[in-house]
Amino acid sequence: MNELLHSPLAVVLVAAAATFIWRALGAVLVGRIDPEGAVVRWFTLTSYALLAALVVRLVGLPTGSLGTVSLSIRLTAVVVTLAVWWATGRSVLLGVLAGTGCLVAAVAWAPGF
Amino acid sequence: MLDQDHNRYHDRIAYNLRLSEPKVTKSESRAAAFRGFRDAIGVPLLLVGGGMTGFGALAHDIGFASWEAVLASVLVWALPAQVVAADLYTSGGDLVAIAIAAALASMRFFPMAVALLPTLDNSAGGQLGRIAQAQLMSATSWAFLMRGSAPSDPRLRLAYHTVFALTCLSIGAIGTLAGYLGAAGLPRPLALGLLFLNAASFTVLLAETRSRQALLAVLLGAGLCAPIHMVLPEASLVLASVIGGTVAFVFGDRLRKPAS
Repeated sequence: MNELLHSPLAVVLVAAAATFIWRALGAVLVGRIDPEGAVVRWFTLTSYALLAALVVRLVGLPTGSLGTVSLSIRLTAVVVTLAVWWATGRSVLLGVLAGTGCLVAAVAWAPGF
Repeated sequence: MLDQDHNRYHDRIAYNLRLSEPKVTKSESRAAAFRGFRDAIGVPLLLVGGGMTGFGALAHDIGFASWEAVLASVLVWALPAQVVAADLYTSGGDLVAIAIAAALASMRFFPMAVALLPTLDNSAGGQLGRIAQAQLMSATSWAFLMRGSAPSDPRLRLAYHTVFALTCLSIGAIGTLAGYLGAAGLPRPLALGLLFLNAASFTVLLAETRSRQALLAVLLGAGLCAPIHMVLPEASLVLASVIGGTVAFVFGDRLRKPAS
């Protein structure tokens, strides 16, 4: 039982249920909620804060293989992502490709950086 | 009172849309559906495919089976919630912690559904049809349906959204599998690159933030995460987002109001 609760399948089903609840609630409450109201504004701001905290965890406190890459490489890759995104007139694709390419190149040729 | 006004408002929109476009032929429906497919295999293919490739690599890294990775993309169908769940799973979070964090990550689907669903025809589907469209909806499909160039007739929008979102879902499933296999088979630097994709795309997404209030939430969420992590590693994500979002909400709202 304990193993089942910590299985990937249980994690997937829990995450799916946690997401489905909001979708279904939105479908049921259509027309009864002000999309510009205070609750919705709090939801949006909290989502932004969560995504920012998630980036800090993924880059700064990685739990998996990314943790074997030095922090300086990870941070440089984020800076390159933002710099190229900004320099190319806010191109999401080029920014992401450049940052990822930077990480790949650094791991391949300068792993001690 | 407010509820009634809103109901009336949406009824009026639906009524006006029906009046202005009285007939939708089968060929128009088919054309809208095809446009949904064509639009989805452009920029969304890169956005959804790239994001889900990153998730597939992450799923491999933390020991999911390939089918579990694809199932996650198809059933959850919300990249931040998937990445949050995977991150907490590997750091030892229990199911309750994962449920709370995933629910926070997916909260935005509620206002998105409230805004999108009334613009899709619902004469045949009923409540279940609405819920099905809400389940298919993604940040990408929402953004494309809200563009001025999307079809305006509710029935054409329904055909457009259904095909657009199903195409994105297929791309997402294929991308997940590709990322999973890539992380398993590619040389180490490239596999790590796949793992970095999500962090890079979320970073750019946050940099796109326009409002100062949202920027405050981003800075607070990022700034609070590491210090909280030192004390309560499992709760750092949830606490940083709730505190960051609430502080930005309270102070940002005060800033928005003119001084009296």
